[in-house]
Amino acid sequence: MSKRKQPARAKPAPEPTTAQPRTPQPMPAEPAPAERPQSTAPDRTAYDPTTPDPTTPDPMTDEPTTPAEVDYDDHDLLGQADWVIGGEAARKARQQGLYAGYVLFLGALVYGLPIVQAVFRTSDASSLGDQLSSPEAIALLVASVAALLGAVVFAGRFRGPVVPPMPWIDLVLPVPLDRALALRRWWRYAAVGGLFIGALSGLTIGAGLAFAHLAGPVTIIVTTAVGTALGVLATRLWLWSQVRSWPGPDRGLSLLWRVPDALRELHAESLRAHSANTSTMAGSALTGNLRTARLALTRPIRHGRSARLRPGRPFGVLVRRDVLGLRRTPGAFLSGLGLTALGGAIVTWAFTQPAAPSIAATIGLLPLYLGFGAWAEGLRLQADNVGTPSLLGTSELTEAGAHVTVPTALTVLVLGGWVGVAAAIGSLPASAPLSLWLVLVLVVAGNVLAAFRGSPTFMLRPQMVIAWYAVPAFTVVLLGSLVAVLTKAGSYTWLSVVSWLVYAVLAWAVSKVRRLTYLHRA
Amino acid sequence: MQMGAVAVLTGEVRAEGVGKTIDETTLLLPTDVSADPGECIVLRGPNGSGKTTLLRIIGGLLVPSTGTATIGGREADERDRTVRAAVAALLGAPTTYRDLTLVDHLVLIDSTWGGDPATSDDRSLALLDRLGIAHLDDRFPHELSSGQEQLFRLALTFSRPASVVLLDEPEQRLDTGKRQVVAELIRERTESGGTVVMACHDPELTATLATRVVDIVPAR
Repeated sequence: MSKRKQPARAKPAPEPTTAQPRTPQPMPAEPAPAERPQSTAPDRTAYDPTTPDPTTPDPMTDEPTTPAEVDYDDHDLLGQADWVIGGEAARKARQQGLYAGYVLFLGALVYGLPIVQAVFRTSDASSLGDQLSSPEAIALLVASVAALLGAVVFAGRFRGPVVPPMPWIDLVLPVPLDRALALRRWWRYAAVGGLFIGALSGLTIGAGLAFAHLAGPVTIIVTTAVGTALGVLATRLWLWSQVRSWPGPDRGLSLLWRVPDALRELHAESLRAHSANTSTMAGSALTGNLRTARLALTRPIRHGRSARLRPGRPFGVLVRRDVLGLRRTPGAFLSGLGLTALGGAIVTWAFTQPAAPSIAATIGLLPLYLGFGAWAEGLRLQADNVGTPSLLGTSELTEAGAHVTVPTALTVLVLGGWVGVAAAIGSLPASAPLSLWLVLVLVVAGNVLAAFRGSPTFMLRPQMVIAWYAVPAFTVVLLGSLVAVLTKAGSYTWLSVVSWLVYAVLAWAVSKVRRLTYLHRA
Repeated sequence: MQMGAVAVLTGEVRAEGVGKTIDETTLLLPTDVSADPGECIVLRGPNGSGKTTLLRIIGGLLVPSTGTATIGGREADERDRTVRAAVAALLGAPTTYRDLTLVDHLVLIDSTWGGDPATSDDRSLALLDRLGIAHLDDRFPHELSSGQEQLFRLALTFSRPASVVLLDEPEQRLDTGKRQVVAELIRERTESGGTVVMACHDPELTATLATRVVDIVPAR
């Protein structure tokens, strides 16, 4: 039992009652069900069981009294609900949010600033400054911010910022108190978090630029302000997207600055769905079962059904299957294109421009890897099928080879486009295509590893599961960064050693395909 | 780029004394099953008696704790591409491609088994038609009812060539008319020299199709 002081109650809490039919009866007023709205006598509240039912006819006049407004003390009701549902533990849990912010701030100081300094550290600060202020760089920055905001809107369809626990949705939200007030707490968590992360990101980037002598100290203030504004905008877009995930009368953009109205627009069923999605994602993440989360959260495919899979030779038909899949999921195609274009631009810049810092490749590898993954649904579906009786007449390696064909071809096109741009500008070292080839092999191998990672076989601790998830991406980023550093340094002997490592990762990925395919037979 | 040249196994199914125990739990007591080409063997028994486990062992998806299982004289092991080429199985829900329609699935399977591309569409639509779901050919799997889904799973299983067909309660969620259609498909498969081993709870279907009935004794 909680030791927290119970919130003051104006009147005793209602006794559980069963709903009664409201048939007017010319009888003396019987005690009305406690949860019904009551007329407002000066010393009575809605919870006073002695208050007569306003819909019950007056026995003297035989006419029903007019229903009157009811005063609810929303804050008092919420206080009671908090105490009943969570008690002291819930209050302490909420306080831990402050601790998380403190840890984040320290993390930004300890790791963020050195990382950003490393990002902008270069042997040629003036060239880098010129490149960063070029129209292309600004366009890329704007595109990145737009992509980030788009991702927030996308995420809000499944998991918005306002996700109370299920008992709150089922037991507290049905109470006739202002929904904006009932949900305000979760919105505040998200809003403060967004503001904090935005400000911290702006501060870190501005400070990094200033420390690297690429900008003056005023930049720190500007980037912090811009970061804060973007954090606020992102959080509001997130809420707006959550509102739009359920049909309703008021779903316009004006909700961005009418937050209480946006909170009132949140339907209980929508909140339940978002809460369930959160549980699914958390459960899937902890158990390493990404397929469940993927299938639960992806929007069902309903268009492009008139297109037909053209029969043919096995390999070709599997490749056409993936093309057809991307035609039917344009969102996956476009997100893959955006991520690959962004990652490809940064990685190509890192390999072709002497002024580009080596760490630029590290930053660009992650979106490149994720973009490839967005196009590799066929590969994941093959991995989903392991353990089921064989339906296809191809071997597992042929099937995997066919499923990486489309994403590889698309990635080559994007990287080739950026290499073409670099060549047109006049800066294409001979080592760049070789290094980009190694990056491509790494990205392919990393995605095969990710698709066929199976399930974690160790004790499920969050840190271990996170590490298990990160292995393919970490391998790609680590080896890709090594390739970038060695390419820029001109250490071709070591680069040949690393290239063997890259091919070893590819062999590892192939062995994972075989191992997972037959692992189930036990 | 297919599976390469693989030996074509005959539909001789032999399971001798196969049983399965995991830790202290016995899923299947040692059981004998044999089936020859042209036969339909029905496995019968109460829930939990081990019918699905036996089918998984015969299909090479599960290693028996005791006894041996062979297909065409070869150890039943799903890793063996020859066994894989010989056995079509409906054991639980096959994972489908969420971005392919029903007919796309059948065309894909048909193509990967070397079906003639010129007639692949026709064969696929004809099979869907046999099962009464041809009008759903452009639907995605998640748009089907549970009964339609079962018919689609049967279509997936029967769309690939196999000398042995393993079916786990194919009558699930099907109405009487559709059960007759499934019975007809199974009969055609056995009449063409295939072997069918299936778990079944439907007495009529069992009486119609079974060459022999094997009663599975529950472990407890």
